[in-house]
Amino acid sequence: MAEPKLRVLMVSDFFFPNFGGVENHIYYLSQCLLNLGHKVVVMTHAYGNRTGVRYMTGGLKVYYVPWRPFAMQNTFPTVYGTLPIVRTILKRERITVVHGHQAFSTLCHEALMHARTMGYRVVFTDHSLYGFADVGSIHMNKVLQFTLADIDQAICVSHTSKENTVLRSGLSPGKVFMIPNAVDTAMFKPADVRPSSDDVITIVVISRLVYRKGADLLVEVIPEVCRLYPNVRFVVGGDGPKHVRLEEMREKHSLQDRVEMLGAVPHSRVRSVLVTGHIFLNSSLTEAFCIAILEAASCGLLTVSTRVGGVPEVLPDDMVVLAEPDPDDMVRAIEKAISILPSINPEEMHNRMKKLYSWQDVAKRTEIVYDRALKCSNRNLLERLSRFLSCGAWAGKVFCMVMIIDYLLWRLLQFLQPDDDVEEAPDINFCN
Amino acid sequence: MDNYLAGNSPPPPPPPPRPKWRKVAYGGMQIGYDDNYTDETFLEEMVMNANVVRRDLLKVMKDSVSISQYLCIVALVVLVWFHTLQSSLDESSLLLLDLSLLALGFLVLLLTEEKMLSLRLLLRYVINITFFTTGLYVLAPVYQTLTRSISSDSIWAVTVSLLLLHLFLHDYSGSTIRAPGALKSPSLTSCISVNASVVASVFVASRLPSRGHVFAVMLFSLQVFLFAPLVAYCIKKFSFGLHLGFSFALMGLTLYSVYALHSLFFVLFLVLVVVVNVVCPYWLIRMQEYKFEINGPWDEAKLCFDITD
Repeated sequence: MAEPKLRVLMVSDFFFPNFGGVENHIYYLSQCLLNLGHKVVVMTHAYGNRTGVRYMTGGLKVYYVPWRPFAMQNTFPTVYGTLPIVRTILKRERITVVHGHQAFSTLCHEALMHARTMGYRVVFTDHSLYGFADVGSIHMNKVLQFTLADIDQAICVSHTSKENTVLRSGLSPGKVFMIPNAVDTAMFKPADVRPSSDDVITIVVISRLVYRKGADLLVEVIPEVCRLYPNVRFVVGGDGPKHVRLEEMREKHSLQDRVEMLGAVPHSRVRSVLVTGHIFLNSSLTEAFCIAILEAASCGLLTVSTRVGGVPEVLPDDMVVLAEPDPDDMVRAIEKAISILPSINPEEMHNRMKKLYSWQDVAKRTEIVYDRALKCSNRNLLERLSRFLSCGAWAGKVFCMVMIIDYLLWRLLQFLQPDDDVEEAPDINFCN
Repeated sequence: MDNYLAGNSPPPPPPPPRPKWRKVAYGGMQIGYDDNYTDETFLEEMVMNANVVRRDLLKVMKDSVSISQYLCIVALVVLVWFHTLQSSLDESSLLLLDLSLLALGFLVLLLTEEKMLSLRLLLRYVINITFFTTGLYVLAPVYQTLTRSISSDSIWAVTVSLLLLHLFLHDYSGSTIRAPGALKSPSLTSCISVNASVVASVFVASRLPSRGHVFAVMLFSLQVFLFAPLVAYCIKKFSFGLHLGFSFALMGLTLYSVYALHSLFFVLFLVLVVVVNVVCPYWLIRMQEYKFEINGPWDEAKLCFDITD
């Protein structure tokens, strides 16, 4: 059995059985890296009674660290609490690169800090956008600055996200790579028999019904479109606090027979909902990338979306109709989409998507980033401290203290349990 | 911008002319460009200090009058408490003060309100006030003996801290007690502020010698703390000139009363008013230059319509 080329540890609070963009990204990236001959281990926190080590498809080893989430699937930030287990996993699996995901995952920040203390190469992927004005963002940005102060390479999912990350963290843009998400085109195929768009046009919305996903825009847009086009019907999949508002809108304009509310749609059923429609409507107010658009386009749907964040970069101009996030402009965009609908061939669109996005391509590009990270010269503690010190008048000193204590704790752990005493896990090849 | 571009490694120049770099995420790695390529258009859409409002010193000073006006009101309440505790204000004059304040406040509300007063509304107000005062009168003996087992020093210390908390959290831009039919509900901090002032009044009242004193002082304090902001707000909404005149009259009255008490307090209070009305606005204007606000395509879009849940 050949020795794996790289041994990568993916760290994030967000992983299966939870569902979302980050979870998908980690899963598919790991699978493709495994196929490229690397060893990949995932570290996340315990979900319910799912703790300990699990194996997923292709021998993807997942450590569910027995650390309970406290808010929004995040573990409680203890700063040093995860040091022993991170060290043991890194040693057991003989990891060479640590790859953290998502800026608001506390587990990711802690693991990256410990990995840097122990001299491992670290890569960080930012999946979301942040503003600069509100109190929450200001604190998040400071934490991000701390994690990224000493990082080898960073990855962002769109060019807009790269600009945002560079501004927030003060990294040099040359260290930040743009590698987008992708879509499993084999899973999102157009329907064998496409529903005819001559008599009824179906517009599909699949998103959590929350403020940030623009549920309030939907409340304004849907009645207006229904008024203009008697042959349009809507299918709304997803649940959330704004569900009530949509129900109210449906009753107020008596659209019960034209607006179908499906409630929460599990990821495995998304495709079956998408293929019943002709147009996919995304009304997000902020979005770093938006995988939902890719899934819809892969199913052969024409997309109408708000022009926010990284969305304009996601699809070629002839596959998407963009609108400003205000109801009038969105209605105009839907009008335009309905007028060009006859020229859309779902099968052709699906084949184009196959060429535009693939997880294999994402994995290959990520491999290049790992190679770059491995080539970075390793700095000693003092050199690294000077970088933390430059993070801010007060924050810099606090960051330095945090790092020094982390270093001392690491030395103490090494004294209590020398590195050689940590048992190494055997590599099991599941591919053949 | 330049230092951002400096860290970028130039891509290897291929022999055929490179296709132009596009700001797109699809289609795999762009030919001739690495994934960490940073184009000249990087951060082109960033906007700095787009929404900053340039403030005018005179306007800020005028706005700060609301704060000093309320400071004066609280100072006057404290003075009344002091004189009652010193027994230089007797029960009947206190009750007279209560009644005249009630009538004055009611008059101001009536005159500044656009709607005409109906007999039914008047009756409702009268019934409400009667309930309120009766309740207070019944509870007065309880208040009087409420803190008998606690030493006076602790009471004064707690009262002062509660009043400071009240001033710190007070909603100076509006009124916590709102006219019926107001849309926005008051914020949590302003509710805490009102509660702090009520508790402070109870503590002070519990040190008074007789039941009548307790009733009169409690009625006075509650009237002022609950309804003075509303009355001041109505005056301000009615006419800004009247608001300024009223504030300066209050300031004069407070300064005179404080001077009659002690000259040191007079100096302290004068300094406080000057700091609030002159120094702080000037400071705010000076700090405007340090404003640094970044906007760009990554910002969350703002909805252009109101959401009424």
